Amino acid sequence: MKTAWIFVALGVAFLVAGSYVGLFVAPAEEYMGQVQRIMYVHVPTAWNWMLAVLFALGAAIAFLFTAKTKWDARLEAGLEVATLFAFLLCVQGSIWAKPTWGVWWDWDPRLTSVAVLLFAFLGILALRQFVDDPQRRAVWSAVATIIASVDLPIVYYSVKWWNSLHQQQSTPQTVSSQYHLPLRLNAFGVLFLMIGFIMLRTRVASYRLARETAMPPMRGEEAGELA
Amino acid sequence: MTGVIVGGWGFVIAAYSLTAAGFAIYGVRLWLRLREEKRLAHE
Repeated sequence: MKTAWIFVALGVAFLVAGSYVGLFVAPAEEYMGQVQRIMYVHVPTAWNWMLAVLFALGAAIAFLFTAKTKWDARLEAGLEVATLFAFLLCVQGSIWAKPTWGVWWDWDPRLTSVAVLLFAFLGILALRQFVDDPQRRAVWSAVATIIASVDLPIVYYSVKWWNSLHQQQSTPQTVSSQYHLPLRLNAFGVLFLMIGFIMLRTRVASYRLARETAMPPMRGEEAGELA
Repeated sequence: MTGVIVGGWGFVIAAYSLTAAGFAIYGVRLWLRLREEKRLAHE
């Protein structure tokens, strides 16, 4: 578990450095002014959210092929961290949208497809709470995750396929070189944080799954009958 | 109308603060849940 906390600490350090450069060193954008600084947290969250969804998808496929509990624990971790990131993504996006688009939310293809995946993952996490049988729960949530992940390419290509209000994907190639450093620092910061969170959450799920699959303690009368 | 957004620091601070709060709350919750699961495993 030490490694997980090292990733979390590294993530925090990179985020503090990246946010400092993004807030106080990098110049304001010509048209969006100070509001553009939101990009330094929004874009890294978006990139790593996609990675978290891919991780959950990989864990779901691995579980269906191997039926090993460790993949179910990883799936649960991936689902929860991806849900957190999707929620933060929507919050950051709304805060950015108000001064730039004039509205907090718009049913634009990019925003809508992210919201669909957020609610799909929330639904799968809720499903996991309601199913008691660990094997059935793992299979159902793995299948549901694979179906929900079909939305990920739609999220990615939505700004290319439709005449979207949301701008095209931001990469170091599409933004000025002055913005590269805070963007990269925060991208690594969120990545390290995501790895640490997934490792810790996997551990939590593993403990719980081990407890669920362990033999229940025998009651007094049952033990007497056997004796 | 110049198309240039003036001000906006309030939105920037809100976005950074809510992101930091989200990560911090989740991190603390994870730590607490892990501690609880470890305790239950050793019972």
